[in-house]
Amino acid sequence: MAHDHGTHTSFRELPMARSMCWHCQSEVTGEYKCGQCVKVQPLSKDLDYFTCMRLPRLLNIQPEKLQSTFYELSRTFHPDFYSNKDDQEQIISLGNSALLNTAYRTLKDPVQRAEYLIRLEAGAVKQIRSNPPADLFDEILELQEDLDEYRSLSQEKNIERIEELRKKLNVSREALEQRQVQMELSLTSKFDEWDTIQIASPESDDARGKKDAVLKEMQEILSDKTYVRNIVNDLIETAD
Amino acid sequence: MAYSEKVIDHYNNPRNMGSFKKEEEGVGTGIVGAPECGDVMKLQIKVENDTIVDAKFKTFGCGSAIASSSLATEWLKGKTVEEAGNIKNTEIVQELNLPPVKIHCSVLAEDAIKSALNDYKKKAEESPKVESVATSS
Repeated sequence: MAHDHGTHTSFRELPMARSMCWHCQSEVTGEYKCGQCVKVQPLSKDLDYFTCMRLPRLLNIQPEKLQSTFYELSRTFHPDFYSNKDDQEQIISLGNSALLNTAYRTLKDPVQRAEYLIRLEAGAVKQIRSNPPADLFDEILELQEDLDEYRSLSQEKNIERIEELRKKLNVSREALEQRQVQMELSLTSKFDEWDTIQIASPESDDARGKKDAVLKEMQEILSDKTYVRNIVNDLIETAD
Repeated sequence: MAYSEKVIDHYNNPRNMGSFKKEEEGVGTGIVGAPECGDVMKLQIKVENDTIVDAKFKTFGCGSAIASSSLATEWLKGKTVEEAGNIKNTEIVQELNLPPVKIHCSVLAEDAIKSALNDYKKKAEESPKVESVATSS
């Protein structure tokens, strides 16, 4: 694979916030700790999570690789290793670790990974305000009406209607949960599309257009997923 | 984060909740959603002689979204179609004192108004049998 970093990954890949050591002012040569005074250095604030975890900007990832990078970097930055150091070093290790944790958690989960990539690439696809799926909205609003009725019925007088509604709502819920599964499948099928373009020629104009199209499709799936998730949660809360 | 009194008032006593039949003459329907939070808003207007005589909404979402659409229906009534198109989300933000994180709810309401107006205009063009389809433009 074109983006493989090989096995001899050095320590010096991540960009730092400053080129000079905050403590002794000597030039930081890319190590996480100053070569002169051995103080830990802050990571760059502009570091994106893929770079941070030393992964190419692809959507199919190797979880083991993500985890091993996370562990390795944590061994360098974890605040536990700085409890005896001065305040400034503790603050820096905390900041670096916080970044690592967020990067790790975000990339670990496929949905969050896709959402993050879309945000990251948003400059190009800012205008994606997906066309509202009218049929889905109609369905949601109709279910919402049933839910309102269900909530307003008194237990004693309307047992039959309550039962009837509960059944209906549960059927709808199952159908929607099926749909959620489908949505996740169609989302991950986009992962391959993205990766193929990214690996082939990530920089060409042609690729940009294709990539934006994939991002837009993923954004639409994610939006629909949010709508469905909300109504499913409401159904579970009310009529389970 | 606390909601303003006005939001709470609209939330507890939503004005004009409900719906018209979509096919009904003079009715424009707007259904919009906010992908960020999953809110869904349906806003409908009923137009007679180019004036909005009634408006209804149904919103599935947070308190601010409900309040924004409730307020929007109040404002819509009595306005001409053209005037209605000038309602801005910033006015809703001001009236309801929405915090920055809830501004998108007011945007959603403005989108819903626009969408309902468009639907009405489209319907009016398609069925010019109505006696006075005064689309002032």
